[in-house]
Amino acid sequence: MTSQENPQEDNADAKTPSWPDAHLLELLVCPVSRGPLTLDKTTSELISKDAGLAYPVRDGIPIMLPEEARKLEG
Amino acid sequence: MEPSQNTTSFGFQTVNEEDKQGLVRGVFDAVADKYDIMNDLMSAGLHRLWKQRLVDSLHIRPHADGVLRLIDMAGGTGDIAFRACQRADKLSSQISVQVVDANEQMVGVGAKRGRDNGFGQVDFITGTAEALPVADQSADYVTIAFGIRNVTHRDRALAEAYRVLKPGGRFVCLEFSHMPLKLAQKFYDAYSFNVIPPMGKAITGDASAYQYLIESIRQFPKAEAFMEEVAAAGFARCQFQRLNGGIAALHSGWRI
Repeated sequence: MTSQENPQEDNADAKTPSWPDAHLLELLVCPVSRGPLTLDKTTSELISKDAGLAYPVRDGIPIMLPEEARKLEG
Repeated sequence: MEPSQNTTSFGFQTVNEEDKQGLVRGVFDAVADKYDIMNDLMSAGLHRLWKQRLVDSLHIRPHADGVLRLIDMAGGTGDIAFRACQRADKLSSQISVQVVDANEQMVGVGAKRGRDNGFGQVDFITGTAEALPVADQSADYVTIAFGIRNVTHRDRALAEAYRVLKPGGRFVCLEFSHMPLKLAQKFYDAYSFNVIPPMGKAITGDASAYQYLIESIRQFPKAEAFMEEVAAAGFARCQFQRLNGGIAALHSGWRI
């Protein structure tokens, strides 16, 4: 395993991570489509293209509930 | 979506299926901060022993290559996750645990506990057991402790546990159960209904949340019937063990 660069260092509250770890992103799928997710750091969302949903990440915790997700246009 | 006419239990009340999740969320929002203290008082500390029994029953083994993965469904405040990590540490085994719980507040409490106690190998995720946001065949263990009775569609949660397990993986479920000895059940009922809600009110300020908890325990199927449900989800070599005369039961099955 490579040394863990902490991508949260720029965060004011260093104890609260902003993003899920890479290993977690590999494991997580969309609960609706079971398809892959991509992290959008600008909006702090996990995007499911298949389901057209954007799941929020709050305090580093992915909120994988369809009713909390934003519907993507198009 | 057309509202369904299907109903389910919420404690002793009958409610529409689509309402149960919200009602359960209300219960846990009300008690999230004090949830662990209340568990101690409600079970006279027994829940700690039962959770340890669950972790023992996983038979986490020394593991030379790779990382064991455990998904803990409805694992809110991290009790099972942290215990599993401690066990793996003792065996010099590497483990990665993902706690998936529908209640954001409970997850928040668990994530903070994890950070404060240095459990970096535990991830917290808000999500439901009925639609796990986890890839197929990714886990060596799936656990659920005192969560399955709050799930609206138990069959879906069991099917999800099966889906995310690798072949050879193990499912273990800890839940309140029923005492086969009628007199014991009678005393236990009297204690639960007369002592627990007032105690809950004194500590969390909310008696109705605890009224729900004990009612939902009575509504949950008997150990034999629940084992049938586990088997119906596809699990093999299903078995159960009563704990403390049946106050709780530990069910398990394998994906083969």
